[in-house]
Amino acid sequence: MAAATDEELVRKSKEDDERAFGELVSRYESKVYSLALRMVRNPEDAEDVLQDTFLRAYRGIKSFQGASTFSTWIYRITANSALMRLRKKQLPTVSIDDAEERETPVNIADWTPGPAEQLLSQELQHEMDEAIGALPPEFRQVFVLRDVEEMSNAEVAEILDLSVAAVKSRLHRARLKVRNRLAGYFSDNAKPKRSAMGAH
Amino acid sequence: MLTCKEVLESLSDYLDADMKEDIVNEMKRHIGSCSDCRAEFDTLTMTIKLYKHEHAQSGPQVMPVGCHDRLVKVLELEKMKSKGPQPPKMV
Repeated sequence: MAAATDEELVRKSKEDDERAFGELVSRYESKVYSLALRMVRNPEDAEDVLQDTFLRAYRGIKSFQGASTFSTWIYRITANSALMRLRKKQLPTVSIDDAEERETPVNIADWTPGPAEQLLSQELQHEMDEAIGALPPEFRQVFVLRDVEEMSNAEVAEILDLSVAAVKSRLHRARLKVRNRLAGYFSDNAKPKRSAMGAH
Repeated sequence: MLTCKEVLESLSDYLDADMKEDIVNEMKRHIGSCSDCRAEFDTLTMTIKLYKHEHAQSGPQVMPVGCHDRLVKVLELEKMKSKGPQPPKMV
């Protein structure tokens, strides 16, 4: 028997079919968890976001009009829940307004002679992780959906309820911020090695 | 003729192949002849390659043991709250 479509499962869930909602949970829980973890960056918070997301979905399924797909809807709830959690915890990120600072250093050194595989040491991986973690939550949302989950600008715009232009602008600035952090790493690494890195 | 500022502002669109062909050609020309913009372009390209490579290496994020069961429990509690004491079996 062919698996039910999301639309069928949503329709049945609206009619109080618990199994149908359970099937939607099974279908999306891993993706929601993965997305949440990439946004909030620790497993406990990601699990809280997962639970919050499906609780909201459960409460809201009857009013879900189907104007977007179920996947877009559930990712929107996930992104909002993750954003609220990040704001609540007030992690040491800069606000989106502070992020208006100049993002392009003058005469940036070119540190790109080798292939990515060679450059990606554990230390650099840690630096990259820190750079993504330091992005303002609103930038990180766009960055994770667009560059990590590899969704299109239009999909990200729909999920986050932003214009495509706003998605593109935030993505560009997020990429520059990550790049600038890596540029700092490479320029520091041209000097004697730091000792405080590596423990993660 | 694009200025350096215009080129830098459009680098992401250029990298994502999200611009008109005549602008792409202008971008190409500018980056080919301006070493500052070329360094900007190269380092941004490498940044994207690095985190995509890192993401591919780290693979999908797996849910911790017990996470699914805890989620089901939370949802069943919610159902009991909203419908009275008859917990339906979920998954």
